[in-house]
This record gives sequence, C-alpha cells and structure tokens, in this order.
Amino acid sequence: MHTPGRHGPSTLVFLLPWLLTFGIFALYPLADSFWVSFTRYNPIQGPPVFIGLDNYARLLRDPIFWTSLRNTLIFVVGTIPLTTVGALLVALALNRHLPMKALFRAAWFMPTIVSMVVISLVFKNFYSPFGFLNAILSLLGLPGHAWLQDPDTALGAIMLMDVWAAVGYYAVIFLAGLQAIPAELYEAAALDGGSGWRKHWHITLPLLRSTMLFILVINTIRSFQVFIEIFVMTRGGPLDSTLTTVYYLYDRAFNSFELGYASALAWALFAVTLGASLVYVRVLKDRGAA
Amino acid sequence: MSSRMVGARDRGHWLIVIGLSIGLVTMLLPLVWMVGTSLKAVGAGLGGLSDLLPWPVSLKNYRDILASGPFGRYFLNSAVVAIVVVAGNILFSAMVGYAFARRRFVGKGPLWWGLLATLMVPKQVTMIPIYVLTAKLHLINTYTALIAPFLVDAFNVFLMRSYIEQLPHDLEEAARVDGASEWRIFFNVVFPLTRPALAVVGINTFLVNWNNFLYPLILTNSDSMRTLPVGLALYAQGENSVSWGHLMAGSCLSTLPILVVFVIFQRHIIEGITAGAGK
Repeated sequence: MHTPGRHGPSTLVFLLPWLLTFGIFALYPLADSFWVSFTRYNPIQGPPVFIGLDNYARLLRDPIFWTSLRNTLIFVVGTIPLTTVGALLVALALNRHLPMKALFRAAWFMPTIVSMVVISLVFKNFYSPFGFLNAILSLLGLPGHAWLQDPDTALGAIMLMDVWAAVGYYAVIFLAGLQAIPAELYEAAALDGGSGWRKHWHITLPLLRSTMLFILVINTIRSFQVFIEIFVMTRGGPLDSTLTTVYYLYDRAFNSFELGYASALAWALFAVTLGASLVYVRVLKDRGAA
Repeated sequence: MSSRMVGARDRGHWLIVIGLSIGLVTMLLPLVWMVGTSLKAVGAGLGGLSDLLPWPVSLKNYRDILASGPFGRYFLNSAVVAIVVVAGNILFSAMVGYAFARRRFVGKGPLWWGLLATLMVPKQVTMIPIYVLTAKLHLINTYTALIAPFLVDAFNVFLMRSYIEQLPHDLEEAARVDGASEWRIFFNVVFPLTRPALAVVGINTFLVNWNNFLYPLILTNSDSMRTLPVGLALYAQGENSVSWGHLMAGSCLSTLPILVVFVIFQRHIIEGITAGAGK
C-alpha cells in the first residue's frame, strides 16, 4: 500500500485525455443543448434568444412531431419483440452440439458488422418495384409491390430489414448468457422428466433475466435513435409515413437551422427513451427480487 | 432411454439444422446480391434473380469508381480517421482505465459516474452543440473534427478499468521498489499486460468507427472530406444517375476491410460485445 497522493501529479496526466474529451464532447454539449432548447437560435441570423418554454409548447402542438413519435414508437414496439425472440431462438439453437456451428454463428452475425448505410442501400434496391423481392414473389406467382413507395408498407419494410440486421448481434449476447448457465441444472431437470420447452421456461428464461434486461435496454436506446435507414431509404416519406423523431430533428436542425426547436425535440426524445428504459428495469428487477 | 425418444430428439436436432440453414441463406442472400450486382457488366439486364450470379463477370464497376475520384478519397478519409481513432483509443483508454483502476484522487467517484452516464446520452442531444462548436472553430471539413470526438470512448475506458483492476499488483509494486518512474511503470509493466483487452478495444473501435455515420455527415460538407458511409449514402441520393453497379462496388469495397477484420478477429469482436452484458 502506498500513501494516497504520493504520485498525485501524474494522475492528472493519465486522466487528461478523457477529461478533455469528456468536457468538450459530453458535458459542454449537454449543458449547451439544454440551454439552447429554451431559445430561438438560427446561427445564420445571430446568437440564441431566450424564449422560455416556447419550443416545448410548440412541440406539443406540432402534428409532425407527434407523427414522428408515433412512427418511432411503432418502430420500437414492432422490432424489439421480433428481434429479441428471434435472437433467443437462434442462441438456443446455436447452443447445441451442431455440425458447422461456427459457420452458422458467423453467418448470423455477419449483417451486424456491415455498415447500416450499405445494408440500407442493398434493401432499397431489394424492395424496389423491379427489385429482388418482387422477382421472388413473381416466381411464386404472387403480385409485386412498390414496398417503399407505399405509405402503408414502407415503415414495415424498414422494420423487417432492421430485425434481419440485428438478430445476430443479440443472439451472440444471449449465447454468452446461455453458456454461463451450469449444465447440472438441466441435468437435474432431465431427471425430473422436464421436457425441452418446459426446461427452457423454468430454467433458461429466469437465469437469462439480466442478459434480457441488458439487451432490451440497449436495443431500446438504439431503436429510438433510428436514423440512417430513413436517411438512405426514404428520407421520411412517403407522406411522412417513415418520418422518425431523430430524422425530423435532423431535418429541423440541418435543413431549416432551427437549432433551438431541434434541441427541444432531442430532449423530448431523450426523456421518452429514459422512461422506457426505467419501465424495463422496474418490471424485470421486481421479478428478480421476488 | 428408449429408442423412440432418441428418434424424437434426432428429429428435433435436424429440424434445428434445417431452420438454421434457412436462416443462413436469408442472412447471406442480400450480401451475395450486393457482390453479384457489383460484378455485373454494365448493360446486362438489371434487377431480378440474375443479379445473384452475374455472367459474364466484370470488374468494370470497380475500375469506374476507383478512376472517378471520390471513392478513392472517401476510402482514404475513412482509413485515416479509423487508424488515428483506433490508435488513440488503445493508448488513452489504457491510460484512463489505469488511473481509475489504480489511483486514488479527488472526485474519483463522481467522475466515474460521469463516465458511465455518457454511455446513456444519445447522440442526437449532443450533436447540435458539437456542430456549432466545430463551425465556430472553423473545423468543419477537417480530420480534427472527424477524429477528436471519438478519441477516448467511455465504453473502452470501462473495459480497460475492469481488466486492469483484476491484474495482480505485484509487478507494479516491484517496479516501484526498483525506483521506476510512474510513466515507466505504466508503459513497461501495465500496458503490455493489457494486450488482450486492448485487442478487443482496438478491433471494436475500428468496426464502430468505420461504419460511423451521423457525426461525419454533419461535420463535413465538401465532397473531398466525406467518409465512405457518408459518401455512399449521398451518392445514392443523386436521383438522376444512380448506377447500382457502381454503388454496390463501392459498398463491397467499404465492407472488405470489415470482413477481413471479422474473419481474423471474430473471437475478439464477440468478447467486446458480450463484455457489456456482464455488468
């Protein structure tokens, strides 16, 4: 044990790289963004002008904001259960002794390392009227469709793409959780005559609770931020049917330079995201304590 | 165990293999299509199933985009940014992680909570002030703007602190008794020991940074400073003259470094992803 402060001065040097980036790229922007959300601010016209809660009042009355929030919620609520259940099934399958296991795992994981821009470009073509999906449908004798040009199907098509792209990532996390479960528990269950699905319901799921919580929280934070897909594939259209909140605030900030209003949108979305995360923690933690 | 039960179990086993195989095809099909389209001779019919296995195979799309300027430049920009950001994270996350793991200092607790809190803050909240600050400092369209915000990633510091904390103290104490300076102890004793964790940090930082989109999009506006993902996305929006062959050749080129890293370091990538789940 050495006395505290013996090598005091050099500690600052070790911390300095992070202190600088933390201050410049986290603390300052957080404080500034909060302040700017109470101002009218177009950098071309001049410095921010304090307008109190006007931006937040405008947001509550802005039908486009509500449309964007609704689309974002549909995206979150639609993709997360599919992705989570899909990832769990894939992980359960990959956790068995299988031929070519490494190949299967690598293939499922592949899409998650490819950039979302590239994935979105591929699927933009895939869903286009003369694209791959319609070609397959016509082989099966089914009619084609302009998936991304129809307000009724555009958001759903993007959501399915996202599930495709994300399943492998969460499967890998579930797989790590599964491998941490002691095999004896299953052996004991087998002796008691527990069948495959009952075994998973009574042993696997309860023991995966913390993994599940982690997956739900990070997937929720990510899904609320959906942006690249929209930017590349639809730019929010047709008829705002794929307009998500981050895309809307990007549009306000960088196409109309309404930085004050865009900041208020950012904080509103942050509050919604935080609320959703707290709900998971409540639900899954309480069960865990019982 | 009766033979009937074994039979049922075998059948379940094969159903899973078949299910996974269908999944495998679904996972790889869009990526095969991407490669197929990039290898298509210009003028060959576009669209439909023939995109998967084009014949004759042609490298013209690749020659075109490499000769036409911007793609080569995008690639260079992405490479410069990724290399500097990876190097910075390897050095700095070890330094900061070491300070949090081994040193006592004023405000350590609150600072650590501050670091963890940054993991929760979404980019959409901080991007506007960072854009304004960058513009005020006249750093739009510079490598500085593309690199500085990502030099010390909080998650990497988190990983390094956990790793360094579980290293034995003996070697550091021995070096200290021998009169080694604090810098020597860090660079010659601790840093080499953290190599396995630094591999995870380096590889995952590369993957994330190579695919980074939002900040590079708002912090650049000249074609010569775009990175690959931003360049590709904006090229696709030039509605009149989008050539899918060119676009997919660019997509393949931008995916190639990632694929190489993935094939070589798959284990490290998975370690990096699952490290967070253990919290």
